[in-house]
Amino acid sequence: METLAIYASRLVTERDYFASGHRACSGCGEALALRYVCKALGRNTIISNATGCMEIVSSPLPETSWEVPWIHTLFENASAVASGIESGIKALKRKHGYTKEVKVVAMGGDGGTADIGLQSLSGALERGHDFIYVCFDNEAYMNTGIQRSSETPFGASTTTAPAGKFSMGQHTQKKNMPAIAAAHNIRYVATSCSSYPFDIMNKIEKAKQIKGPSYIHILSVCPTGWRTASNLTITMGRLAVETGIFPMYEIEDGKYTLNFDYPKLRPVEDYLKVQGRFRHLTKENTAEIQEHVLTEFNRIRLLAGKKIK
Amino acid sequence: MIKDTSIEIRWHGRGGQGAVTSAELIALAAIHEGKFAQAFPSFGPERRGAPVLAFNRIDAENPIRIRSGVTKPDIVVVLDPGLVTLINVTDGLKPGGCLVVNSTRTVEDLQQEFSGDWKLAVVDAASIARELLGVNIVNTTMVGALLKASEAVKFDSLKAPLGERFGARAGANFEACMRAYNSTAISQITTTGTKKPKSFAVEKMPGWRELLVGCMVTEPGNTKRFGTGDWKSQHPVWDDKKCIKCGICSLVCPEGCIKPNNEGYYRANLFYCKGCGMCAHECWTQAIKMVEGT
Repeated sequence: METLAIYASRLVTERDYFASGHRACSGCGEALALRYVCKALGRNTIISNATGCMEIVSSPLPETSWEVPWIHTLFENASAVASGIESGIKALKRKHGYTKEVKVVAMGGDGGTADIGLQSLSGALERGHDFIYVCFDNEAYMNTGIQRSSETPFGASTTTAPAGKFSMGQHTQKKNMPAIAAAHNIRYVATSCSSYPFDIMNKIEKAKQIKGPSYIHILSVCPTGWRTASNLTITMGRLAVETGIFPMYEIEDGKYTLNFDYPKLRPVEDYLKVQGRFRHLTKENTAEIQEHVLTEFNRIRLLAGKKIK
Repeated sequence: MIKDTSIEIRWHGRGGQGAVTSAELIALAAIHEGKFAQAFPSFGPERRGAPVLAFNRIDAENPIRIRSGVTKPDIVVVLDPGLVTLINVTDGLKPGGCLVVNSTRTVEDLQQEFSGDWKLAVVDAASIARELLGVNIVNTTMVGALLKASEAVKFDSLKAPLGERFGARAGANFEACMRAYNSTAISQITTTGTKKPKSFAVEKMPGWRELLVGCMVTEPGNTKRFGTGDWKSQHPVWDDKKCIKCGICSLVCPEGCIKPNNEGYYRANLFYCKGCGMCAHECWTQAIKMVEGT
């Protein structure tokens, strides 16, 4: 079975709804994640996209990379626009006998989700609109030149939280966005990573089946902002999961499932030392990060009903 | 009337190659000499691998009031060899000026490409940078070549800004600079009028009257017309003997440009390939190699 598994890529549909010729950086993990998301969503989809990397690279007017209906919104109202579209479709069904099943999807980067778009996202989740929110988390405002966001991890050096004599970069912990989404008591919340294509596609499939809001948080490797080589994009995502820095889990109707658990997590150093944005960290910083990662990972393990190792 | 004593420099590079850093170094060196100087990039959604521009203005006597991009440069520096045939790098270059190119070709060979009344300086910066710095980032190397071709700033003025910018790596960068300074080949081109200037494709943008209300785009996926293939410096080559046709390369390509051919072997569409090297890195059997060149 294991030897057959390497041929699994051949089972994925060749049809892309995110066309080539987009202007993402070479080796972009976010464009990669978006490709998988669009493959899984299929053609009966309407996408409302907050400003961010994926909006800028895909829509250099008069061109577009999208092969599904797509609307560009501001940072703060991707979920509000998605709510409106979903309500509009409902009204069409009620008044004009429209029967097609269309999934409405809102997308944003970590800035458009956790910072600027949080209020409209919270409103849409609370009102219970039938839509999927996908957050592509590359851990800073990469599009405008690597400014810190609330999703930037502890210790990362960015242009607005630079490491130097008096600072070790970002001094706050990453905002726990999936937990905020889960606190709205929605039926499906999941985290995923750009290096795990089948995981992303399965989770999008699941979210598609759910009536009501669902939230998917995808860690998207950014070679430009993380200061890694562009051919290491997949490796970096795998390291983030294998070190426990980014736990991959699902919350279905309040029930936690940990998708990737390891008998022994890799030391965080493996992940940190490859990236330019963590190059300045001292041994003490690394130890602090390691401790925080273990605490957080064990918290998820407990929630998922597993024993702490 | 104030005498025009300014030197204007235009840098052509790709995002990530360090054109902006080069421009900053030159400006800092000029300021170090007590001159007035500017350095700035042209702003746009330029990304790693995309062609970018950076500009310098240096004036030995007068403060610089102008703030616009450089359209009539005295010096043009090209950091990426591929750009020479791709865009019109000598656009607006003043007679008597100079063009500095990073290329593996010889100066005699390369001067066939151009016509005009200016100097051509050629240096194999990529090899120097790989050897001395370990990476293909040619910013400091090209600064060395530029100083050989023109006395924009003195070579020694570079030491302080280099140390400040690169810290522990300043030594290697200075050495790369020095090596380039010594190995740059220069020739004078005077072929005005004898050769027809080459024409370059210019992207045609619609006027505002031609746009639909709300900036709607009615043709799905029409970025397919836009080739991102010229962003790359390396491209993947498949060894079909090692290939097991698993298709992982086509799955991990962010461009979605790797598709199986009639025999089931995978190939990248080089019109879109940005040369990130992910397919080569992820291939189970290491059947893919990244080879220099577009």
